[in-house]
Amino acid sequence: SSNEHKLNFKKSKEACLSYIQDAMLQKQWKRAAEFLTCYVESLEKDYSREHIGPSEMIWRIGTEILWHHSHSSMKEFNCFMEQMKTLGVKRYLKVCLEHVFHLLCNGQIDEAYQNLSLAESWRFGEQTALQDKEMKLIQAYRGLLDYYSWSKQKNILLEHGEDGFSDLAVEQEMHSCFRKAAVNLKEIIKIPGVWDLFVKCYVDLLEFYGDHNEAHQVLNEYAYNSKFPANPNAHVYLYQFLKRQGESKKSLVSALKILHDIVPSHELMIDFNTMLQKSKKRKKRRLGLEVIFAALDYAGWKENAKAWSCLARQVKQIVNSGKHLDWIKQEWNSRKDWWPAFHFSRYLAKKNWQENKSLSYGKALVAGVLLGKDCKYFKYVSHHGCKAQLKKFRMLKKFVNRHNPVYLRISQ
Amino acid sequence: MEFPAALFPSYFGAGPPREEGGPAPAAGWGEHGQVLEGGPGRRQAQPAFVPRRGGTSERWEAADAAAVPVLPPSAGCWIPSPAPQDILYRSGLCRKLPAGKSGATLDFARQLGHFFVDHPEDAFGSLGQLLHKNFHLGNSKLKRPARNSTIRMTALVEDIDRLEARRGCPRQHLASRLRWFSHLCRDWLFEVPLGLLADCLHEELMLQWSNLLFDDSLTGGALAWLPRGDGGTRGGCLVHPGGQAMNHLYFQDMVLEELPRARGSPAQFELSGRVRQVAAARVDGEDFVGVRSDYHCGVWRVPGRTGSAPTPLQVIRTDVPASCLTVSPHLPGELSVCTQSGTIYLWNVETGLQQLRHDPETMYFRDHSPWRWSDFTAHPRVLSCADRTGLQCLDVRAPKKCHFDLFKVGEEAGCQQGERVVLPMYLGRAHPSQYLVTTQFSVYVLDERLPLVPILKWAHMMKAPPLFAHLMPGDPGRTHKVLLGASSTQELLLLQYRVRFWGVSSGGSQSACQLAGTPQKLHSIAGCLQYLPTQLPHCHHLLQQRLTAPATGLAAALQEDGPHESMLVFQLSEAGDVFCQRLTHEAAQPPAPTSRDEATTAPGSSPSLAVPSPAAALRYCRWLRALSRACREPPQHTWPPSLSQRRLFTRRELEGPAGPSTLQRQMRQQLRQAMREGGRIQRWEPSAFQPPPLPQTLELAGGPDPLSARLTAAWAGDWEQWWEDRTSFSVAQRQRALRERRRRQKRARGCRSLSASFTSSLTYQSELSELSDAGPQLLSPGHPLVLSQEGSPPARSPPARSPPASPAPDEILLSSQSLRCRGIPKERRKTLRDYLSVWAEGAPATP
Repeated sequence: SSNEHKLNFKKSKEACLSYIQDAMLQKQWKRAAEFLTCYVESLEKDYSREHIGPSEMIWRIGTEILWHHSHSSMKEFNCFMEQMKTLGVKRYLKVCLEHVFHLLCNGQIDEAYQNLSLAESWRFGEQTALQDKEMKLIQAYRGLLDYYSWSKQKNILLEHGEDGFSDLAVEQEMHSCFRKAAVNLKEIIKIPGVWDLFVKCYVDLLEFYGDHNEAHQVLNEYAYNSKFPANPNAHVYLYQFLKRQGESKKSLVSALKILHDIVPSHELMIDFNTMLQKSKKRKKRRLGLEVIFAALDYAGWKENAKAWSCLARQVKQIVNSGKHLDWIKQEWNSRKDWWPAFHFSRYLAKKNWQENKSLSYGKALVAGVLLGKDCKYFKYVSHHGCKAQLKKFRMLKKFVNRHNPVYLRISQ
Repeated sequence: MEFPAALFPSYFGAGPPREEGGPAPAAGWGEHGQVLEGGPGRRQAQPAFVPRRGGTSERWEAADAAAVPVLPPSAGCWIPSPAPQDILYRSGLCRKLPAGKSGATLDFARQLGHFFVDHPEDAFGSLGQLLHKNFHLGNSKLKRPARNSTIRMTALVEDIDRLEARRGCPRQHLASRLRWFSHLCRDWLFEVPLGLLADCLHEELMLQWSNLLFDDSLTGGALAWLPRGDGGTRGGCLVHPGGQAMNHLYFQDMVLEELPRARGSPAQFELSGRVRQVAAARVDGEDFVGVRSDYHCGVWRVPGRTGSAPTPLQVIRTDVPASCLTVSPHLPGELSVCTQSGTIYLWNVETGLQQLRHDPETMYFRDHSPWRWSDFTAHPRVLSCADRTGLQCLDVRAPKKCHFDLFKVGEEAGCQQGERVVLPMYLGRAHPSQYLVTTQFSVYVLDERLPLVPILKWAHMMKAPPLFAHLMPGDPGRTHKVLLGASSTQELLLLQYRVRFWGVSSGGSQSACQLAGTPQKLHSIAGCLQYLPTQLPHCHHLLQQRLTAPATGLAAALQEDGPHESMLVFQLSEAGDVFCQRLTHEAAQPPAPTSRDEATTAPGSSPSLAVPSPAAALRYCRWLRALSRACREPPQHTWPPSLSQRRLFTRRELEGPAGPSTLQRQMRQQLRQAMREGGRIQRWEPSAFQPPPLPQTLELAGGPDPLSARLTAAWAGDWEQWWEDRTSFSVAQRQRALRERRRRQKRARGCRSLSASFTSSLTYQSELSELSDAGPQLLSPGHPLVLSQEGSPPARSPPARSPPASPAPDEILLSSQSLRCRGIPKERRKTLRDYLSVWAEGAPATP
């Protein structure tokens, strides 16, 4: 019966697909390609209402095979993609985007630009929400490529400018590139998302043309709009912008403070700490201590010699001055039950000593102050340091021994 | 670790997943996802782009044709867990339905039937005994009088068979007889009320079926590899469960050569439950191994040196099955435990358990699964906790206040409808702030510094959800490798991703996470079946069953041998088998973008791998031999326990009771006769009932064998009478009764049938009373007072008694039936009986 026939056809289709899948997962691209030519037949009776239909599968599998097949060429790939674009209206924009991505990754920027322009002008009935998003992306990527050609021309002009020679045509083209890029980039960064690349380019454009207010506003929006994800880069860009603009310390600190609140382990925390340590205000120095302690809580900072030296410097300063020992005490209170095992074990003392002397110096100083002169880490490092006749470590031992009462006060 | 200077573009939306879901066979292919500027430009002036997926990867080639057994098979036969065909309804119409989620029909009736057949005592015990006379199981027709009180079950069974044959027919008529029978006895026939029993069975069936579809108790896997790197030999320790119940934990030292080989015998621990998960982490040069079974979790410490013995540290017991156990990579002796009641604990070997959260509800939307998971994060005081709907991170120091969402099944991560978290894993060894989350459709890599937005997403296209994952971090500049493993299908997938680019790109050295190259399928255990020596069909079937058993664990080891690098992947199956495969790194080829990854072979598997290497073939042979040895001779203790009669009784003791059996025969005959004649047995009459005093009082009166006498009486159902005889019957009464009996016998002599002597139940009664008691017969008349005293208060002084002969001969002799049995001619029976009665009367006179 026809029903059975349909079932059998479906079954053989599934079997064929599983062969293809198997071959691809074992990187047997030729074998997969042979099976795929059989699978194309499944397009003829495509009654499926599945999530991914045969035409999409052929596009996906074919693309993957062409990426890896030893005999495929870019020309063949382009040809295949053109065919795939006509295979499904709903998928047109998606296929276009992927095609562009492949061209971009292979350095064919101009072809990619052409494809983007073509795709942008495509219209078919009413767009779905997904297609709308894809269209916006296509425009954004075109804007990005416009930005790159703008920046190329800008570089040419700058080079020539040094020679005192300006080319009006180049300048005009540059401006038109700016306009095209700005329009498209501005659009996409209004929509919630991660648009690091686009934002950076747009801000660069605005800054070049001196529109600092707009740039500031864009970066503020990108960092503080609650509809956007909590992207640390948004705050980093804002901070970098403020720094470039030569803004006041206060605004830099407040930008970094927010970054500290959302990502205490961000690498800018060292800059933040140095900035705060230099401050004359007690509150800020206190925040600096908090920042460096919080950063060193994270496993990724465990062997960061710079961070340890920052902490060691500040701790030493506090101990020497004898003031604000309560700051250390307060920070230490929430850490004293796990920092010794996490940072100051004998195993780590040995390892740090062997691998990085300056790291072990900073850590040993902090350990000596926080845990006293009997701490395993400090004992091991100072012992080996003195044995190796290093002056720095002898000084360290003296320092910790002299300030042992500090440990007693902290540990109370 | 630095945060990438720029991330791949992506939309961000909030809310439930919008994309329609479903397994999509090819969803992971052919997509770059997004591109980002980065990497060295080919031409200086042009920007270079890198794709999110599809970059170059390292080449790892399988070194052998199939996976190879690592350890000899465990002793004792493996009993496979139920398969779908065991609990699914198989019938003509239903077979065509897919055995999927909704289409499956559980064969509830068959299972209930199995229960009735296998445990009839539990199912119908008491009523069955009461009614068994009323159920006729023969083929013969019932006779008229019996038909009133007896049902012919054969007909019912035939009806049931007929019904079975017609199952699936939409126009089936229930046999009226069956309906009538079930209507009649549904409420009272069953020992356990049928509704209750059915509920329990149905619940169990549903549980079994859901376990078959997806058994999340295995999440995480029960295999761990602890690398050891000292001296010249490379090796490690394989931690795996074993034994028939998987309740033994083994720490097996291994040497990594061409194929890994066990060194010495393993350290072994017997646990009180099936091992579900083995988790391990290395802190300060020591390995901590956490082991989870349903109600117990334990932690072992293994020093980093080769050959050092593992020490058990602590065990905790949970009331609700634990669903997760992870070991902290930051602090020694710290673990996190989750139970199915939604509780998460931080477990420190020194300070004990700290409850972090208790919430039976799921986090982001309602999901029925009680599965919970927890793992560590970059911050040693922050733990992640997961359920099927997503992940949250919470601070141990203030778990109620400080938490943030890390992953949500929703639009944020671009999930599909129906997508659920299967396994989260902290990727700390590759990157301190990265996380792996697998769902049944996709794998995600998350960065806790940018929560909710996956920095990598890929549809893995695996047929079963990946329950196991193993990370092999790569050195800077190399890719990180992640192995994903599924349970029921034994799938193994190798993925590679990289966090760092070659060189410096725009702004920073750190760049966004990329999926490198294509995923690679590795050998499964079942794949080696075709390379094993040919077996007899039934052996082949058993072997196939064993090799296709669901996988329960995954581990891997990277091995560097100068320029050669290889990866050893271990896979554990439910049967306790550990198989291994070796992949070698082909570093020679430069990553040429156009002609990469194509094996120089014709379609079909590469010819060099068509047969296993000689070493592997030898392994197969050895393993098979060991397997057949382990399965052929069942160990002694597996026999069902039985009692040996020879041990309980000596030969003489066994021969002894041969005599009394005639008594039993006689009793039976008497009973039958009474039944046939519709008579009554008097012992049931209320008048004959006298409350017997406490049996303890009797013990003192016991002569050499009063116990056996009493037991004999009790066996014959006449214990009260015996007691009465012993206590209150005076000798005179007994004599009177005897005389009376003899008179009656004379009267009844005209009757041809011997059974006439039993027409009166009274006769039977008195005869028995007289037969069963040998003791009082021999009492001297000089002691009646003692006897009468014996009745009400406990007798202090034992009555003087000569050692009695066994009561059996007398009893038997007095019965005319037994006389006939002994072949005494009828005419002589009377003489003998008279003589005996005279002897009985005269007995008291003779001292």
